[in-house]
Amino acid sequence: MSTDAVPSQPAPPALAVSGLTVRCPGADGMVPIAEEIFLTIAPGEAVAVVGESGSGKSVTARAILNLLPHGLESEGTVEFAGESAGRRPRGRRGARIAMVMQDPFTTLNPLHRIRDIVCETLRTPDGKRLGRRERRREAVRRLAEVGIADPAVADAYPFELSGGMRQRVGIAAAIAEEPLVLIADEPTTALDQTTQSEILALLDRLRETRRMALLLITHDLRVAAGVCGRVYVMYAGQVIEELPADRLLTAARHPYTARLAAADPPLDRRLQALPPIPGSVPAPGGRPHGCRFAPRCGWATSACTSDPVTLSDLGTGHQVRCARVGESLDLTHTRDLAEVTPGPAPTGEPIIVLREVTKRYGHKLAVDGVDFEVHAGESVGIVGESGSGKTSVARMMVGLEPVTSGSLEVRGIDVTSSKVGRDGWATVRSTVQMAFQDPSSTLNPARTVGGTITETLRLTDVPDRKARAAELLQMVGLDAGYANLRPKQLSGGERQRVAIARALARDPRVLLCDEVVSALDVSVQAHVLNLLNDLRRTLGISLVFITHDLAVVRQIADRVYVMKSGKVVEHGLAGDVLSRPRHPYTQSLIASIPAHA
Amino acid sequence: MADRPVTLSRHTWRTLRARRRQTPLLVVAASCVLVAAAVLMIFPGVAPHDPDLIDGAVAFQSPGSQYWLGTDNLGRDVFSRIVAGTRTGLLGPLILAIGTTLLATLVAVVAGYLGGHVDALTGRVIDVLYAVPPMVVAIVVVGITGGGWWIALAVLLVFGLPINIRLLRSAVIVRARLPYIEAARTSGFSGTRIMVFHLLPTIAAFLVAVFFLTFTYGIVDLSALSFLGLGVPPGASDWGRMIAENRAYLFQNAWATIGPTIAVVLVAVSANVVGDWIYSRYESRGRTR
Repeated sequence: MSTDAVPSQPAPPALAVSGLTVRCPGADGMVPIAEEIFLTIAPGEAVAVVGESGSGKSVTARAILNLLPHGLESEGTVEFAGESAGRRPRGRRGARIAMVMQDPFTTLNPLHRIRDIVCETLRTPDGKRLGRRERRREAVRRLAEVGIADPAVADAYPFELSGGMRQRVGIAAAIAEEPLVLIADEPTTALDQTTQSEILALLDRLRETRRMALLLITHDLRVAAGVCGRVYVMYAGQVIEELPADRLLTAARHPYTARLAAADPPLDRRLQALPPIPGSVPAPGGRPHGCRFAPRCGWATSACTSDPVTLSDLGTGHQVRCARVGESLDLTHTRDLAEVTPGPAPTGEPIIVLREVTKRYGHKLAVDGVDFEVHAGESVGIVGESGSGKTSVARMMVGLEPVTSGSLEVRGIDVTSSKVGRDGWATVRSTVQMAFQDPSSTLNPARTVGGTITETLRLTDVPDRKARAAELLQMVGLDAGYANLRPKQLSGGERQRVAIARALARDPRVLLCDEVVSALDVSVQAHVLNLLNDLRRTLGISLVFITHDLAVVRQIADRVYVMKSGKVVEHGLAGDVLSRPRHPYTQSLIASIPAHA
Repeated sequence: MADRPVTLSRHTWRTLRARRRQTPLLVVAASCVLVAAAVLMIFPGVAPHDPDLIDGAVAFQSPGSQYWLGTDNLGRDVFSRIVAGTRTGLLGPLILAIGTTLLATLVAVVAGYLGGHVDALTGRVIDVLYAVPPMVVAIVVVGITGGGWWIALAVLLVFGLPINIRLLRSAVIVRARLPYIEAARTSGFSGTRIMVFHLLPTIAAFLVAVFFLTFTYGIVDLSALSFLGLGVPPGASDWGRMIAENRAYLFQNAWATIGPTIAVVLVAVSANVVGDWIYSRYESRGRTR
């Protein structure tokens, strides 16, 4: 059996990884996290490794770079341009391979000037560090290459730059030594939509002009399909499919890939329901013996679970690790999913009304004269990039931040007035509840799930709090047994469900969701979005959904507000705003989303 | 697959070795703390002699079967005096630790949670207290008031507060801005309830740390004040005072000095080890990941 995937190329590949296995210490001995990975990238080729958290994609990248965290062991061979990397010290790898990290805010040393960061690895021919003037000249030239034309940036410190600029600097530093291979680990995840597309375009341009191989690690199928030529899909430590990028979203042959692509919300239409993937990614050490995906796969048969499945070649660079590859499975693709039209203009009475609301933090005007309404039973989306003021609007609506000026009424109570009183706040609290972004800190780690919910139920007049807590957990799709677990024992998606259950405990009429799915994997995101849509239908509550993701807002909102620099630049029915945007900013937001097949 | 048993055993060995290295120290330290606490509670039952009985005839006895650690210049039994010394030597630091933990927690949680003017005012008061060296103030105050053990304790308590309030406040501030506390606010809980039932459990580890650190410092600081003659009255059985009084007679009976020194060091170190262990058990509770 050969799992080697060398395409027919004359020159040796820029990067060839074979039989790479990474192990970590587990409860009993070393447990594999990534197994038998074979990757090849030709010079100047862009290849993506996609997968959800727990797939082993990041650890694979780190093993290639010999940057594994302490305690992890790797085996297998890594070759650069036909030369084995062997057990070469990290310094020697530097010249051939470089990495761009995920978070531009922490990858640049805050104490160094940009020119020193960019030129840190450069040496004169006789091995000396560059002089100060040369460093500056070289830095200006290299910054221009990554699209920073302003020479003053070379003398700046990282904190003076925006996230996108920092990521450009990170790229300039990474490619300073003209590497053969550039590994980019989620390089755009921490960035705004418009910045993201610029950085991806930059990486693509550098790859072409420098004939550099690009290995892009990402969870985002759209990014992978938009930037790369070939895609490796990883699941539970294995490559389960390798395919040309143009087939990723439409012609994947592994059930997992197909379901993952289908769970990714489309931008251009609203689906009845996103098809989620049941279950969760098995942890290292607890992975099934047969097909890794079999327990979650609708097409699994006994043949799938008996023996490990090998990659089978379908020709034209397409390989699949599926036991039923020979049969034509009826895999659902995004285009097959039922579409619905979003709700009509709101008819219910307004519950929350904002008029000319501003919010000032010191000298910074975060929210600048916003008019906003939430009506009974409708679903409103607030879209914007970071710093647009969307979260501040939400926080004012639940009283977490005082309003600087303007009026904000919740069920007729003006929360900006100083005499709201205890009863007034009680009304506001039982009307609006909020779910937060970060699943890791949304629940009190010192409490059990049941404790958190029953605690909140103290504020209502529910007689049997335990029974009601179990009921609430059921409503968000969790078993009553979850009541005894602590947040640490839950996955991100489960924590968000509990957070939603907690918000529902007060029986609110409006549920505010602040980026509740942005930290979740696509398949889990689909679960949560479906849940919110269901809750809205069954409970008749209104949703205010705050997000930076236009495709997500398309799936959930009837009406959309687009915010930029504290102002609402455009609002209207979701279909109108997202399909026929009128404001140039909205148009640029939509244009920046990677092409979707 | 062939190398699997090897890696497994190597891993197991590593854990075992790590555990073996830690546990005995903890056991010894915990026993020390327990023995000291037991002695404190059942004293004077365990003292073989009356600690304050002066008998010139038996001054400077060497350690032996009658006087286990010998006698001092006035013929008092050193061992009995060390036992009696637990009263001030342990009770003082205990009161100090409890008092500091309670007060520091109260101030830190209220200031950290409410923020704004309350927090700013607390911060400035702490700044002022920081500028004053506690030992010097202790010496002056005790000197002016004529001293006394309770005064010494009070001074140490007041000047021990700032650093502990700072420590706890920073922990509170980090957590007060976390979604789970904000969720409690949006749910509609009262400030008091959030502070007591939501915030406090998540800083449990810090409370443990504050308690044991203050206890350890208390042992050393109170002994130091006694050594300087500012704590307990002359003649009382107190470790610090014993060291001070007996160091002139090092060559007659060294144990009269070494004994209480060992007691101070042993109890302080043991309390620290035990505190460290309890801290590590609570440490993960306030964390979110």
